[in-house]
Amino acid sequence: MEAFLEPTMWALGMALIGTVVFALIGLVSGTDETATIAPLTLLVILLGVPPAGVFAFFMAAIAAKHITHAIPTTLLGIPGDTMAAPLLRDAQMLRELGVPHIALRKAISGGAVAALIAVPMAVFFAWLLTPFSAAISAVAPWLFLAAALLIAVLSKGRWAALFALVPFVLIVVGLQNFAVGALGKGLSISFFLGIAIGPLIADLFLAASPAGRATLVRDAPRSFELAADVRTWKGRMPNPVGVLDRTQLAGTAGAAVVSSATFVFSPVAMTVLMGELFGGRIKNGYRRLTTMMAVKNGTTESTYIAETLIPLIAIGLPLSPMAAGPANPLFNAPPVYTIDAEAGTSNNLHDLLDPWQFLVFGLAAVIIALLITYPFAMTQAHRAASWIMKKVSHEAIIGAFAGLIAVICLYEGGVVALLVAVTIGLVGGLLNKLFHMHTGVQFMGYYVAALTVPAVTALFA
Amino acid sequence: MQEQKLLEVWGDTVDGRHLLGAIGLGVGIAVPVYLIAEWGFGQLTGGDALGRSYALVTGLAACVIAAVVAANIFTPKRIVTIGEAPSGSREEAMDAIEAELGPLGDPDELPAAALAEVKELGLYDDLVAQHRKNERIAAEGGER
Repeated sequence: MEAFLEPTMWALGMALIGTVVFALIGLVSGTDETATIAPLTLLVILLGVPPAGVFAFFMAAIAAKHITHAIPTTLLGIPGDTMAAPLLRDAQMLRELGVPHIALRKAISGGAVAALIAVPMAVFFAWLLTPFSAAISAVAPWLFLAAALLIAVLSKGRWAALFALVPFVLIVVGLQNFAVGALGKGLSISFFLGIAIGPLIADLFLAASPAGRATLVRDAPRSFELAADVRTWKGRMPNPVGVLDRTQLAGTAGAAVVSSATFVFSPVAMTVLMGELFGGRIKNGYRRLTTMMAVKNGTTESTYIAETLIPLIAIGLPLSPMAAGPANPLFNAPPVYTIDAEAGTSNNLHDLLDPWQFLVFGLAAVIIALLITYPFAMTQAHRAASWIMKKVSHEAIIGAFAGLIAVICLYEGGVVALLVAVTIGLVGGLLNKLFHMHTGVQFMGYYVAALTVPAVTALFA
Repeated sequence: MQEQKLLEVWGDTVDGRHLLGAIGLGVGIAVPVYLIAEWGFGQLTGGDALGRSYALVTGLAACVIAAVVAANIFTPKRIVTIGEAPSGSREEAMDAIEAELGPLGDPDELPAAALAEVKELGLYDDLVAQHRKNERIAAEGGER
């Protein structure tokens, strides 16, 4: 009894914390998932929270963030985070029609429905894949190389991103050797943080140079127009199923199932694709727009959930864009969770939790996240968005992140780790800014350096 | 009004000097607090790994405090206007949307649930008017 009770208490408690923290972060527009979820998950792991708690924290975090990210997207017309970008144009049109609140309602209802479907579907697909996991692990170094090349060429950077992988991987290898020489151990967290906040570091360096500064200077503050507050229902809270009509419900559910299976593709690409597939053919314009909101936001939930769960349950190696990004600490967070490159073994959530625990704790975390964020988004969206916009300055957010990165790097490897993070952040940030080689490609590049490069050198040894 | 140097960093406008100040606060508060905590907990726990975890939490708490302080000193550089309730300009908005999206369509073709939704939102009459207008343009054979 005790063996069951304790992990359950941890899971429920951490899910609650993950929900509250990321429901608030979701309100802040432009907070990239990788840059926010990965560092805080890492922190939770390093603090020694048991596996069930770490997992529930993460699941609640992604479910909550992708509910509240719809608030700035629909009410302010600026994307809440990276995954909200595909929803933006549809949301803007509904806003121009004067019904931003309907865009919000459809989006969060689609998200809630899809999140509940995606957890069991992802566990099911993982179960189908499990018999092949040993074979997959055996060829992992080459899979990471293939995945890196594929993600690079499919990114906006195209061939530039592909070829830029070579210098990028070499820089990682060089920095890693430097760290081993200086500290007697390799680094990983500092690399991840550096990559995740690369765009910020690149902007800060630009701001420090007179020439770069000229590209950043603005005459006037950015101006935001918050849509008027319109309450559209009377009495009790509408339930998500009631907000969507039958076609929208079917489309959202269909997209959730399909996007749960395709765990190796980019979540942003899947969101666009699912929107077209399940909403694009509706003839009536108004209905197409509202269906798009539900289906697309549903897909932001289901891709994130499935792309985390499937590699985590079936393989134990971060073999999906999501697992290589925001979910990465669940796979690799030394010294707590580790992947041994040479032996091809792991000691991470894959080994520490059973499939039924992934299902139960995952579902519980998602339900907690929805029970808190859904009513919140329905009733408080306008007040919360306006408070954040008026009170919380961007400077304060950047300052807190700078402090957080410094502390975590010092924790991993002192000044050496901090230098490594700044270096990789500057290089990665510039590659991102100039060649659209996004952070997902760079995370894969890190794994190529850690796993594929030793395998290649072994071939020639 | 005092001269402000506005820069766009990480997706929003900031004042360069304020940004420097906020980063100074973040790093300047969090790092010393972390280092002191690491030393202090190390003394207490005798170099245990758990001691370093406590130091990490202390460092994180310091980051949150730094953010609260910075948010109080440096106000946001955003212009936020609360939108007016939709007025008569909806027809223009509809024209602009149709140019990009294609026809918004005849609301009477909508299934019952969606029809009720459109009526409740007060969109019904405008959608009908827009649809009629498009039909009229089509009937006149006028290509836009």
